[in-house]
Amino acid sequence: MSDEEHQFESKADAGASKTYPQQAGTIRKNGHIVIKGRPCKVVEVSTSKTGKHGHAKCHFVAIDIFNGKKLEDIVPSSHNCDVPHVNRTDYQLIDISEDGFVSLLTENGNTKDDLRLPTDESLLSQVRIFLLRCMQIKGGFEEGKDLVVSVMSAMGEEQICALKDIGPKN
Amino acid sequence: MIRPIWEYITGLFDVHLDFGPEFGGIRGRVQAIKPMVLDRWIMPPFGWIKINTDGSAMGAPGNSACGGIFRDCKGAADLAQLQATMQAIELACSSIQMHVNPAAAEATLLSLSQSPRPYHACQFILENSQLANARFQAAGAIRDAAIREWALLEAADRRGLISFCLCFIMNNANSPEGYVLVKVASVAAQLLKRGWPDFTAAEKDAFFLEVKEAVNGSHGLDVQFVGINFLESLVSEFSPSTSTAMGLPREFHEQCRISLEQDYMKAFYCWVQYAAFNVSSRIIEAHSEIPEVKVCSAALRLMIQILNWDFRGKNAVENLKRGIDVFYDGMKQENSSLRRSECIFVQPGHAWHDMLISSGHVGWLLNFYTALRQKFSCEGYWLDCPLAVSARKLIVQFCSVTGVIFPSDGGHMQRQHLLQLLAGIVQWMEPPDAVAKAIKSGKSESELLDGCRALMSVATVTTPVVFNELLKNLRPYGTLTLLSALMCEVSKDLMENRTDDETWSWVARDILLDTWTTLLMQLDGSGHNNSLPPEGISAAANVFALIVDSGLKAASASVLSDGDEYDFLQASVTAMDERLNSYALIGRASIGATIPLLTERFSERVMRLHQGKGISDPTETLEELYSLLLITGHILADEGQGETPLVPKEIESSYTNIMEVDKHPVVILSGSIIRFAEQSLDPEMRTSFFSPRLMEAVVWFLARWSSTYLMPPERSGENKSSYENCNETQHSTNALLSFCGENNQGKVVLDIIIRISLSTLLSYPGEKDLQALTCYQLLHGLVKRRNIISHLVTLDSWRDLANAFANERVFFSLNAAHQRSLAQTLTLSTSGMKTPEASNQYIHNLTSHMTASLVELSSKNDLKTIAQQPDIILLVSCLLERLRGVARASEPRTQKAIYQMGFSVMNPVLIFLQAYKDESIVVYLLLKFVTDWVDGQIIYLEAQETAAVVDFCMRLLQLYSSNNIGKISISLSNTLRTGADAEKYKDLRALLQLLSSLCSKDLVDFASEPIEAYGTSISQVVYMGLHIVTPLITLDLLKYPKLCHSYFSLLSHMLEVYPEIIAQLNVEAFRHILATLDFGLHHQDVEVVDLCLRAVKALASHHYKDSGAGKVGLGSHATSYKEPDGKFHEGILGRFLRSLLQLLLFEDYSTDLVSSAADALLPLILCEQSVYQNLANELIEMQVIPTFRSRLTNALQSLISSNNLSSTLDRINHQRFRKNLHSFLIEVRGFLRMFVLRGHCYGSGCFLAARLGWQHGSVASIDVKQACPSSIRPTLAGFGLNGPVLNGLAILEPNPNPSGLRAKWATIGL
Repeated sequence: MSDEEHQFESKADAGASKTYPQQAGTIRKNGHIVIKGRPCKVVEVSTSKTGKHGHAKCHFVAIDIFNGKKLEDIVPSSHNCDVPHVNRTDYQLIDISEDGFVSLLTENGNTKDDLRLPTDESLLSQVRIFLLRCMQIKGGFEEGKDLVVSVMSAMGEEQICALKDIGPKN
Repeated sequence: MIRPIWEYITGLFDVHLDFGPEFGGIRGRVQAIKPMVLDRWIMPPFGWIKINTDGSAMGAPGNSACGGIFRDCKGAADLAQLQATMQAIELACSSIQMHVNPAAAEATLLSLSQSPRPYHACQFILENSQLANARFQAAGAIRDAAIREWALLEAADRRGLISFCLCFIMNNANSPEGYVLVKVASVAAQLLKRGWPDFTAAEKDAFFLEVKEAVNGSHGLDVQFVGINFLESLVSEFSPSTSTAMGLPREFHEQCRISLEQDYMKAFYCWVQYAAFNVSSRIIEAHSEIPEVKVCSAALRLMIQILNWDFRGKNAVENLKRGIDVFYDGMKQENSSLRRSECIFVQPGHAWHDMLISSGHVGWLLNFYTALRQKFSCEGYWLDCPLAVSARKLIVQFCSVTGVIFPSDGGHMQRQHLLQLLAGIVQWMEPPDAVAKAIKSGKSESELLDGCRALMSVATVTTPVVFNELLKNLRPYGTLTLLSALMCEVSKDLMENRTDDETWSWVARDILLDTWTTLLMQLDGSGHNNSLPPEGISAAANVFALIVDSGLKAASASVLSDGDEYDFLQASVTAMDERLNSYALIGRASIGATIPLLTERFSERVMRLHQGKGISDPTETLEELYSLLLITGHILADEGQGETPLVPKEIESSYTNIMEVDKHPVVILSGSIIRFAEQSLDPEMRTSFFSPRLMEAVVWFLARWSSTYLMPPERSGENKSSYENCNETQHSTNALLSFCGENNQGKVVLDIIIRISLSTLLSYPGEKDLQALTCYQLLHGLVKRRNIISHLVTLDSWRDLANAFANERVFFSLNAAHQRSLAQTLTLSTSGMKTPEASNQYIHNLTSHMTASLVELSSKNDLKTIAQQPDIILLVSCLLERLRGVARASEPRTQKAIYQMGFSVMNPVLIFLQAYKDESIVVYLLLKFVTDWVDGQIIYLEAQETAAVVDFCMRLLQLYSSNNIGKISISLSNTLRTGADAEKYKDLRALLQLLSSLCSKDLVDFASEPIEAYGTSISQVVYMGLHIVTPLITLDLLKYPKLCHSYFSLLSHMLEVYPEIIAQLNVEAFRHILATLDFGLHHQDVEVVDLCLRAVKALASHHYKDSGAGKVGLGSHATSYKEPDGKFHEGILGRFLRSLLQLLLFEDYSTDLVSSAADALLPLILCEQSVYQNLANELIEMQVIPTFRSRLTNALQSLISSNNLSSTLDRINHQRFRKNLHSFLIEVRGFLRMFVLRGHCYGSGCFLAARLGWQHGSVASIDVKQACPSSIRPTLAGFGLNGPVLNGLAILEPNPNPSGLRAKWATIGL
């Protein structure tokens, strides 16, 4: 990942904070939360009490949105938690190089070349099938503007999170 | 003809078998068959014997097996064949036992039971096999095959099978492998039942004669035991709850049940009674364990079972009384739902009177048990020995005998009967303290528990008064006193040993509580006998005091233990324990003592709390208060369950002499609790005492109490007329009710309640459970009641709540669902306003702030950047939840304001849907809001408004679809990916709901002019919607049952109501809908299949009617055509016809579906006559047996012609066709299905695998339907060793077309 590119990207939200405080009791399943410095998506919330007549605590089970690892945390439900600012940006897909790096078209016409497709084999095969199908229907992505890559970024990290074909059919 | 099993074994290896001379001394010339491919087994010429052998091995060295068959020119099976079968089965059994290749072994066993007529082989195995397991399997195979082929068997064969089984058990009665005998007995029982309606009485008597002799003991003890066992399995086979289905309708089982009950039940009982009587005397005389014990306990068990029988008496036949019986059963079940230990009535009817009651049978039983008790010191007898257990069970069973068996002499006879029993039983548990002590020192508790059960049975069949009187005949005190004493002992034991595992005292407590419940519930139900005897009241008071104190003690003791194990007494507030209900029943029975007791305990605790303030840890007291609040809530008020609960009868009818409001004990108690609750408003008190948990109990209590006592609705006029009769009662009730009536304290209390709620919402941040109780139970309960609402809206505190909700940020930190509920509650409260204008204004004020901020946010230029910020997401989702809450509270009078609210956020909703397309939470909220809003509004909307809403909905659908179609999510985490699926499912379900609510506009419409005025057609809109939504619904998503259900119900509704429009859909959308329909037809869920059948019916009927009228119908969709490249496209109706017939004839489905399948099939056949003819011919072609062929031909013919079936689609015709289809299926399904079963080749892959040199485990099973290359054909032949599944394999030809293969299969063998 080249440093130049990265700085250019992060200028856009300069001054914007990476996380926000939010009361633990209001964080829901499928929401986001920071656990151990990692941005996560909550998959399970349960409440318990400290002793019989104590206060409620929230028990979060969450999954790191970038590396898929499971993390857990217990927070008193009236306290604040950090919630990451998760941004998603869509780019048009221009090309995929042999080593898995993608070339993306930004809104202002530049290209962005520092992201790659996931290396996980099963995921990658899913992507291949998807791409193949798109090509069969539309005859290759280079000719039309029909493939969009959704990039998720949070706390200074970014990753491709979804692929979508916006063919003329819709 | 059916060929014998070993028809088609072809040898591939020269394996010489040496069976020795015992196999009939087969001599002569032996011809070994060389490895070759045979098409068919060919008989040897006369005078020759042909040996076919085969063997196989799994690896070398490894397990191997071989077998062979000797046949002469007639091809007849002989001893060797049977021997070989037996060996194969034995091998399979032992390999299952050793867990060597269980799949293959199972396949072997399965093949035996699935082969046609395996009876000879099975009998051979049963008689000769040394291996008990093999005999067991053989018995099972007889059963399976006979049940399957029952209709094809000759009458003599049927009888033969049953008598074979009976003889077998009698002859082998002394065999050590009891389970084989039990299995054979149950096979006999099942077969007997299968043929029950067909056998004549003489035939049945012939069977039973033998059994009777056996049971009488004339053939020795072993035979006697076996005979009793057979009767046991027979009775359980005939009893509906334990019977085997056997693929027969309920009517069949019912008939058998009635017939057995009428003709044989009593005789059976008589036989075993005689048997038990005879052996019991011998047991009593003997001093150690003797073999008779076994027979005796079996006999007692059978007696218990017979008494357990669900007697209907002769009434079952006469429909008249039966209705009442069924009703009675239902009533009883409802009552007993409260109780954990079930108590079944024994109602054998008056025919049993002489045998059970007047013959001294009970006396004999009690004496026998008493004699047995004295023998417990002897060797071989103890308190829990099977004989003693059965005897006690039978005694308990006798306690619940009731009904017409007793003459109608005012219950005298029944009392005598119960008294006799009680005299025996009471010895088991008297005196309670001594018994409890003995148990503590190690004595078995079973006598005490059985005693308690007996008490419960007695309580079930008598009234409380009679119940109490019973013991008075024997002792100076009544039964209730005994009950209370027992309860005390049990509670003491519970308090002493608080362990986690269930001890005897737990069980005893449950049974005793149920007994109380049974007794007290009767009081509730029958108004006339409305009190316990005085002795009973004091007993109840004792028990209740004990319960309260033990509860308090348990509460304070449990404080320090962690939250996980508070299941001891604490029902958590929400999951209200039924135990508390039973306690409350006991408490109410002695209400005079209960209320003061509770008041005293409560004020004592409150006092202690104040005294210890700042000095000692209040937690124990808090927990005690918590449990006191729970029990008090249960005593004072009933749960409403959606209705306004009345003051409990017991409370209403006591304290008749108290006139002054302030002195009414209930008022005092409630007052003190409310005052206590009010203290929570003081911040200092709150932090020191009112823990969230205590507050939960307070809020729960207030919710429960207020629904009964707060501003109760005026009594109706009916009561006023009877005012003079019960002046005093009425007065006291009025005193009680007026305390919190509208004119008295009511408003003050209401104000306190509202302020308490506000403080729980604001001052307990993050306490979700507490706030949920406040929102859902307390506040929601209040706004449901009209006379409260009208006062509510005038209160300042309520206005404060509304203002705070609309304006204060603190409320955003509440759980979103709670905010929704609050918004709904506030909106509902507007119905208390005087004018509709005021209500609308109120809602406008409430929502304008929220809608304005949504509009403002959506119009921001930098929305795209700020939208993703967590605080903005939180804000938007909270606002949407609130709006959704308001939308859900739509009522006619507030409709305008709510429409305005939704209208003003239409645009923002679309903008947000675009901005948050990746934020699934917000998307779901948006969709749910729109769905709820449209659902509440659509029927009231004027045409113009409808047009706007419909347009909005379409844009929403399109936007959602374009955001989501063709998208795959890439995430490293599996959980997140499945989570994404679940989110999609929820979204789609919301969209389908939206479409359904749009549909309802066509059915119910309150608008002043028709909507068509603005060019809106609901049907077109919904089809458009479906068109947009269906591509998103993948077959994977249809695996979510709810989504599947809503999708198909919408689809079938649309097809039924607007079939004409579907023809206008484009090809792709049409195809997609049909693909899902096809999927739905093969779904497991009966309802889904039913919906699909209705849809198909609608499609076909529409096409038929339309094309009959000369119109296009479904047009090009329905016609078959050939594509230029030669591919043949069948019309959709033809396709449905084919798959529906396939389903009906060959697959498993619920019989409930036949009628709707008939409705769908008729129009299909009418539309596609030629396709039907072709299909019919195909089916007939598949049959080779002439008789079946002609049966099938006739059946197919009469399906479309009998019953005067015409070619119209009216109601009568549909009814006729249903009948036709029913009889058609009964006629042909049996033999058609048989072939298909045999087309499968189950398991046994290992044999194959070994032969082909494949790795072990590489083939688990081979489905011949799919795998049929010629290369494995010769090896499949070797497979014949496993039985007849491959019967006829030899004419299998290489055929790449699986369906063709099936046809081949069908032609083989028969």
